[in-house]
Amino acid sequence: MRGRRCGGAAVRAAAVSLALAGLGACGVVEERRNAAGAEAVRFEAARDAGRHALLCAALAPGTRDELEETARSGCPEAIRQAVEEDDLPPAGAVRAVDVWGDRARVVLEGDTLFLSRFPGGWKVTAAGCEPRPDRPYRCGVKGG
Amino acid sequence: MTPADGDGRAGRAGRFLRENSLGLVFLLGFLATLAGQLLAGRAELNNDLVSEGLPPVGLLAYATSSDFAVDVTENWQSEYLQFFLYIFGTVWLLQRGSPESKEIGRAGTESDREQRTGTHARADSPRWASAPGWRGVLFSRSLGLVMGGIFLLSWLAQSVTGTAAYNEERLRSLEGPVGWGGYVTSADFWSRTLQNWQSELLAVASMAVLSIYLRQRGSPESKPVGAPHSATGVEG
Repeated sequence: MRGRRCGGAAVRAAAVSLALAGLGACGVVEERRNAAGAEAVRFEAARDAGRHALLCAALAPGTRDELEETARSGCPEAIRQAVEEDDLPPAGAVRAVDVWGDRARVVLEGDTLFLSRFPGGWKVTAAGCEPRPDRPYRCGVKGG
Repeated sequence: MTPADGDGRAGRAGRFLRENSLGLVFLLGFLATLAGQLLAGRAELNNDLVSEGLPPVGLLAYATSSDFAVDVTENWQSEYLQFFLYIFGTVWLLQRGSPESKEIGRAGTESDREQRTGTHARADSPRWASAPGWRGVLFSRSLGLVMGGIFLLSWLAQSVTGTAAYNEERLRSLEGPVGWGGYVTSADFWSRTLQNWQSELLAVASMAVLSIYLRQRGSPESKPVGAPHSATGVEG
């Protein structure tokens, strides 16, 4: 009898643990979704204000390197060119945020951003992205 | 505590280990290989992430990731499917000369007398072996049902964790995520699933046929070494 009571308690404990783990996972996803969305909004605000150094700081290291190599100039100048050449169009409000693990896609009214989670927070890995049928997005700014 | 108490406890522990060595050794082997998979899987993922300029993941983060979970569950589901099919399949399917098969002519669920169920249950039979109604029916099929149930749950877990891992990879490749329905009809899901199923089915077929002609002295999975190739349903 003692074993059976213990078994029941163990099953209940396991069920409660699973429920808490599930709720915890939901909380983590919601937290990440909010953080990724907020980073996208900050990125677009910096773009609209012409704060190129802030835009550079928001980019993932690989994306910044690729941008500088392609433009053959420093990041602030390269990103200014990208804005002027419409590689980074005005974005507007956030329409949807998808978070899977450490990656996110933020769909805005006029643009789509891809982000990755780094130790210091979310960084933009690609911006100025347009969807293409059955192919990856075409992005004005992206990593190598 | 007297020396005699200590000897008695050590003796009981030694006997417990000897009498349960099959389950214990395989359980420890499972834990050791799972730990190895954790280390190797994390190293492989980190190679990919670093080459893409993304930060590597820590051990705890990888252990709780969908990437690790899908790799684990895709193997679990196929193993439990293998045992489920074997348990249910060998009720009806026979293989002449194989110790894995019942004797020819005994296909089916067999009589209550042969299975010691209902009024034929003995004093040492499990209580539900003689139980009337659903309890008797359920207990008579409990091994296969539990194996089948674990298979279905593992396969469901593979589909859920696979959706998450697949979408994380799609976002890394600048592609949009898909829903669960999109994932379970994707090539990735079926490639992972079928590559495991084919190996399990091959292993079962090999075991059933090779054990007709080959022997392993002392193993209950083999016929006795001197048993004729034609002997069916004889275990060593």
